[in-house]
Amino acid sequence: MNILRRSFIWKMGLGASGALAATAALGVSNEDASTTDNPALRAALLEEEKALRKLHQAFEHAMDKGLHEEVIGMFAADIEGTEGAEVVFNGGIFKSRSHGVSRLYRDRFPAGKTGRRMEPAPGFELTADQQRDSVEVLPDLRSAKAVFPYSIQVGIPFETETSLAAMARLHGEGVRTWWEGGVYRVHYRKDVAGHWKISRLEYDMLSRADYRSGKSYAQPISVSRFATRFPADPQGPDDLI
Amino acid sequence: MRIPMHRFQYTKLTKDQIATKLKTAEGGPKSASPFSNVLNGKTLKIVTNDGPTLEYRFAANKRLTLTEGGKQVTAGYGELTLNQRVFFSHLIPGEQKGYNVFIDQKTNLATVFEVWTSSGIKQGAGANEFTLDDREVQRQIYFGYVDSGKAAPEKLHHYTNRMTGKGIHWTQDTGIETLELYASVANTNFVELTRHIDDLSYVSTSDYVLADDRTVIYNRTECEFSGIHTCFVADLYSVKQVGVRFGFNDKDELEYYMFKGDGEVVGQLAYLENFDDHGIRPMFAPAPRPAPVGGPAPAPVLPAKGARTTYRPVRTFAHMTDEEVHHAAIQRTSVFGVVTGTGAGAAQPAPPQGLGTGNNLPFSDILVGKEFTLRFDNGGPVRDYRIKEMFKLQYRDRSDNVWHDADYRAYEGDDNLAWFGHMIADSKPRASVQVAVDFTNGLATSIESHMGTPYYGNETSYRAIFGVAEMAGPSSLEAPLYVRHQLTDELVGHAFSWSYSDQTTSMHIYSSPHSMSWVIFTGAQALGAEWCSPCVYVKLRPGVYIFCQNEEACNGAQMIELLNTKASHDCGFTYNGGARGVSLGVTGAIGRHIGKFDIVGLYGPKRRNA
Repeated sequence: MNILRRSFIWKMGLGASGALAATAALGVSNEDASTTDNPALRAALLEEEKALRKLHQAFEHAMDKGLHEEVIGMFAADIEGTEGAEVVFNGGIFKSRSHGVSRLYRDRFPAGKTGRRMEPAPGFELTADQQRDSVEVLPDLRSAKAVFPYSIQVGIPFETETSLAAMARLHGEGVRTWWEGGVYRVHYRKDVAGHWKISRLEYDMLSRADYRSGKSYAQPISVSRFATRFPADPQGPDDLI
Repeated sequence: MRIPMHRFQYTKLTKDQIATKLKTAEGGPKSASPFSNVLNGKTLKIVTNDGPTLEYRFAANKRLTLTEGGKQVTAGYGELTLNQRVFFSHLIPGEQKGYNVFIDQKTNLATVFEVWTSSGIKQGAGANEFTLDDREVQRQIYFGYVDSGKAAPEKLHHYTNRMTGKGIHWTQDTGIETLELYASVANTNFVELTRHIDDLSYVSTSDYVLADDRTVIYNRTECEFSGIHTCFVADLYSVKQVGVRFGFNDKDELEYYMFKGDGEVVGQLAYLENFDDHGIRPMFAPAPRPAPVGGPAPAPVLPAKGARTTYRPVRTFAHMTDEEVHHAAIQRTSVFGVVTGTGAGAAQPAPPQGLGTGNNLPFSDILVGKEFTLRFDNGGPVRDYRIKEMFKLQYRDRSDNVWHDADYRAYEGDDNLAWFGHMIADSKPRASVQVAVDFTNGLATSIESHMGTPYYGNETSYRAIFGVAEMAGPSSLEAPLYVRHQLTDELVGHAFSWSYSDQTTSMHIYSSPHSMSWVIFTGAQALGAEWCSPCVYVKLRPGVYIFCQNEEACNGAQMIELLNTKASHDCGFTYNGGARGVSLGVTGAIGRHIGKFDIVGLYGPKRRNA
């Protein structure tokens, strides 16, 4: 674990009574919480960071294996009075776990065979800086931010009524795919049961190429951002950026 | 049979009608060759993976007793042998099912085909849901062994891609000849050389099972046609087969007979999977379910019984009348992406190209600055052309003598050979032409296309007409009197993959003088879904051809390509129409020659009833 990649944010006055309770339970005064000198808090933060990294691994695994229901379950539930989870992807915002987020992961991603992990396209690898991850747990131990690199397949079904596309769909093809690399910018918060959930996930795309595994070279590719909201686009975002 | 299978209206036989017909066959199949008699007096217990355990007792006079799941039945059966293999077939009286069983008497390995009719299987979803025809024979394949009391064998028969690309011309003991091109791991492109008079090739869903390095077990079911099922074991050393045909023909007669056959391998196409991919997983098998995080891998979800990769395009092809299509064309006609019309949709951008165009040839200015006349034979049209720019031309048909402006696209398909297309103004039904003009030889061919066939308003019709090109001036053409482009069978037997874009590739098999099939590659470059259509081939020059097809009883779309086999490239046009209007577009692809079947000699007029 690289301590340099991790920063702890010690900003009190964030207001949540849960946060005060959490730090109080560790015997941390407000003053103590402004530093990392408190060993109990430091240990707690490390534990939370570990839990978040594990959650992200589970997220990537589920994405890679197409376990989209598991992915949806990792997002914060829609609770009245709280801001719903959201995902920012390709210029669109998908809002609320039970609506936009589900639409993205249950409909759009499977249709486009999107999310499967793949090696970076040759010549398009992210820089070392871009590949650096970080996890920032707030001292309330109930919210956090993280950045993780990604390298995935993205795609969209062919928009055509040709027999070629229809036949390709018979064996799970008929999708135009490409490679994307970038970083996930993730916000987490704990639910009432104390489990970390994703409250916001942004696919910050840094590089994109026409590439599939096994191909000997890659070329840059241009992909249109979302231009149509849901429901005009049945798999579209709730908002455009 | 004269009516093409894809146009034939097969009777929707009911379950009761089928039951009545099957009752006549409970005594077992017939056979032109004498049955073998190796099973008489034997008892066999066949254990299968994920399937039934079948306990047989074979008696004299081709009678057997089967105990399955505690239930015992007696039925007639037929039996033929091939090398050490015995193949027997029987029905279950009172049920619309039966078994075709292959047993290797040396290894005791067995492959069992359960076959049944009146399946009630539903496919599609929502408004597109449909039930498979009761007459369509279903099959489920089980791999197993004859239980001899010893330990179960570790290796059973299994699916294979080893037959992919092979072609065999079979002659059965019935006198029936078929040409079978096994171009896909899940389909067969076949031609009934004796049953049909037009030598059109068709596609049916198939399975390929490897019994050993020289022996393959095979079946095909003519889904979306008669639904009849053909199943055999073939020895590829001697190229001999024994098998069974089961189902209902075009006259709704039950065909249930066993056969022997002799074959000739007519060629082999390359198959493009990785060399370590042996096609062991059937195409219809689902991917194994991934393990949950930290948990054990769950068992794979087995495909539904009878699952197979079958393209059923006509099920979702909505019928439109000529008038409906013409009304849609008036509302919206798209010519090379430029949309015109009176409907609200005309203001919308043109829909995406039907086929990818990333690998198309660039458009050519070969026609710019030219004025010429195309004079087609046998009272065909005479058209004058004036072309001053890349994408706009003027033409005049001498029948009305009126000059029209039209958008066009042209390619130089070979040296000094123009290949261009445009709409015919104010046509009803909407018409277009795709024209090859050989400015070296003074020859012209036009594919005259229009919306509508006798079957669907939203299918296209086409014909090739031949003539000459006349041009005055410094590049004047002296048109020949007798020499013409002509229909050809030079492409017959060849297969090319055509990559329209880096993500859209289809393999064309030019399987007969009047038809072809196309096969779609999977992500692993296995050849998978396949379908077929009639077509025409025209020879323009050595190595340069026009290929034109309409995907009949499919989506009605037409593809009109100039193939330059020297450059392994094609370029051309798409023409189609439907509820969204009529569209003339462009297409083109990079080709790879995948191989050739030596089959031309099998075609042509034959002496019938001689």
